[in-house]
Amino acid sequence: MDNGAPQPVEATPPAASMAPTPMPTVFFDGLSNQKHVVELRFQPQGIDLIENGWGIGTWPYADLRRADGPPGALRIACASTLPLARLEVRDPALQAELIARSGALAPNAAAERTQIGRIVAWSLAAVASILLVVLYGIPVLAERLTPLIPDAFEQRMGDASDQQIKLMFGRRTCDRADGKAALTKLLKTLAEAGDLHVSLQSDVLATPVPNAFALPGGRVYLLNGLIQRAISVDELAGVLAHELGHVTHRDHIRKLIHDGGTAFLVGLLFGDVTGSGAVVFATRSVLDSSYSREAESNADAFAIVVMQKLGRSPKPLGDFLFRITGAEGGGARGSLSILASHPLTEARREIMTAADRPITGPDLLSPAEWSALKGICR
Amino acid sequence: MNHTPVSSAPAGRSANVVFSGERRDFRRLVTRGALLELCTAGFYRFWLATDMRRHMWSHTSVEGDAVEYTGTAKELLIGFLIALAILVPIYLVYALIGIEAERAQAFASIPLVLFFYAFAQFAIYRARRYRASRTIWRGVRFWMTGSGWSYSWRACLWTLFGVITVGIAMPWREAALERFKMRHSYYGDLQGAFVGTGGRLFKRVWWLWVLSLVPLAILFTYPTIKGRTWQWWVSGIRFGNVRFESNLEGSTLIGLYWAVFGWGLLILLIDGALIAAAFGIAWAVIGSNGFQKIAQGQILAWHWYAAYGVNIANYLLIALAVGVVVRIYLFRGIWERIANSTSVHGLEAADNVRARGDAVNALGEGFADSLDIGGL
Repeated sequence: MDNGAPQPVEATPPAASMAPTPMPTVFFDGLSNQKHVVELRFQPQGIDLIENGWGIGTWPYADLRRADGPPGALRIACASTLPLARLEVRDPALQAELIARSGALAPNAAAERTQIGRIVAWSLAAVASILLVVLYGIPVLAERLTPLIPDAFEQRMGDASDQQIKLMFGRRTCDRADGKAALTKLLKTLAEAGDLHVSLQSDVLATPVPNAFALPGGRVYLLNGLIQRAISVDELAGVLAHELGHVTHRDHIRKLIHDGGTAFLVGLLFGDVTGSGAVVFATRSVLDSSYSREAESNADAFAIVVMQKLGRSPKPLGDFLFRITGAEGGGARGSLSILASHPLTEARREIMTAADRPITGPDLLSPAEWSALKGICR
Repeated sequence: MNHTPVSSAPAGRSANVVFSGERRDFRRLVTRGALLELCTAGFYRFWLATDMRRHMWSHTSVEGDAVEYTGTAKELLIGFLIALAILVPIYLVYALIGIEAERAQAFASIPLVLFFYAFAQFAIYRARRYRASRTIWRGVRFWMTGSGWSYSWRACLWTLFGVITVGIAMPWREAALERFKMRHSYYGDLQGAFVGTGGRLFKRVWWLWVLSLVPLAILFTYPTIKGRTWQWWVSGIRFGNVRFESNLEGSTLIGLYWAVFGWGLLILLIDGALIAAAFGIAWAVIGSNGFQKIAQGQILAWHWYAAYGVNIANYLLIALAVGVVVRIYLFRGIWERIANSTSVHGLEAADNVRARGDAVNALGEGFADSLDIGGL
């Protein structure tokens, strides 16, 4: 309705019909912030706004909307005029009359409840769909996408983490030639038995920590602490075979896709895409670790197959792991075993003991080579 | 500043800002909102933020005319979704650049985090633009111009300067950034300005920061610094010839922060009791036998999932309870005290303001939300 041009109203309202109210109705036309004190005249289709006897607009009842007003005042907007034009009614009698004539002005608790119900329902649907995708979609996606990622990319990732590892361990690699030769031979034997067609690189880091890990792109790191604590070639060979399992399964790429996707979706759920919130972290750690446990079990299975193919037993690997980590059932670590990325050592040891075979193949390294490997950091 | 304030305008019309909201109403609003956030995995936050703003705005008035907040939750939701659509490719590129950088030099990708800091500044500016353009007084909206990026690089340079000067430059940073924001703010055709200076703020708070080094003194100094900074901020705001002034005492906010502190302690105590009870229930269900089994490593997966579920539920309840307390005291409480301490002078300059400016989208709010820096 045109509020701009004032039009004369026929039959100026007599003062008697519009009793002077102590609480004036104020009109803002949406063009300026000037206060217009108006009187309202109720017509069949809408209200006429009258200022000093001049009609300055008509607001149809159907277009009236409630706007947020101060306590006690009814603030009204009109859908068919300027969006910020406002009518502020303070007289309770007038307010009641307006609400009676325009349904949209009445507070509508039922509609509000419906709206909240709808928000809850949609949110739960979103949660369910995200959880389904995380639990079933992303593992499949990681499985399917992994073969499509070029080796060159994996190599680059490997190079990047290689830099970090070297920096963390102070670039102390062990390079005694005879030890390196023994390690290369062992790795080559295992790779051939495991049918690996990746160019492998391996290094020994001079640190007493007993551990080993594979980087993306076929780089295997042995830490000297592990070499020192191994009492037979087969124990160390088992560990290397396990790491080669990760390499051949391309677990890093798979984990990258899986964890990245999970982080993103769970972050989406809790409104935090960077994934820093504690809930996000907690949820992710459950989802990710169960996925890693699967990858670890697969790498174990690979190690068992390789060792058996070479006519050696995987049992020493199980014993070795048990000796290093100790029983995990009790103690602080045990209490978090559902979250630890590796399966329980006891469980792994049992599986490997069950796969025990009498030794039929030749020793993987000669005693001389074994002692050279043991002394690689000397 | 070219906007010389009328410091002694004769016969200027003055009025106090009045906040008339009841704490009871607001408490009901945020408690209900927290429960709904729980039921909706957090999606209700858009509706809760909107309801809170509507409540605060509509109970704040000058010369009897209350401010009105016209933003909607749907706008915030859409802003969030668009922000996601933009952020996802950025995250991917970020990850790829990170890998390349690490290949050249270990941990070379750390500076990329700075990009997100700059992004956050952009989001802060755009979010303020959104809130301003949804604020209506007497049928005329507030609005802002200015580019979020041009604010962002200023903020980043000032932060860098602040770091170099071990924080001494921070008051000047505040003043410069606020000048930028207010210079680009309008009420209808009245242009905003900010006349607070870094030097004045520095003089008011520097010794409090020094005092904060004394153990526990921070319980007094931090709220006081906050109060003095707010007072400085409000008193620097101008729109044309309209001046704002606050007589907020620095000590006014101490009670609010202490209330949050006390409630936080109480929540932790109650939580401790609940955890003890949960442990008792677990004991009753699986018995000492069961605990022994767990100690021996014979554990059942469902025990751990149950324990895990209890932990997450516990965390969520604490987070929500703390959220309610913070909203009541640090949002509503501070707002109420600032509003009631504020007077507006030279109001006749705001008597015939022409409407100008348009509502802008909520993209900035979306970014702020997804980068975890959302205010209110």
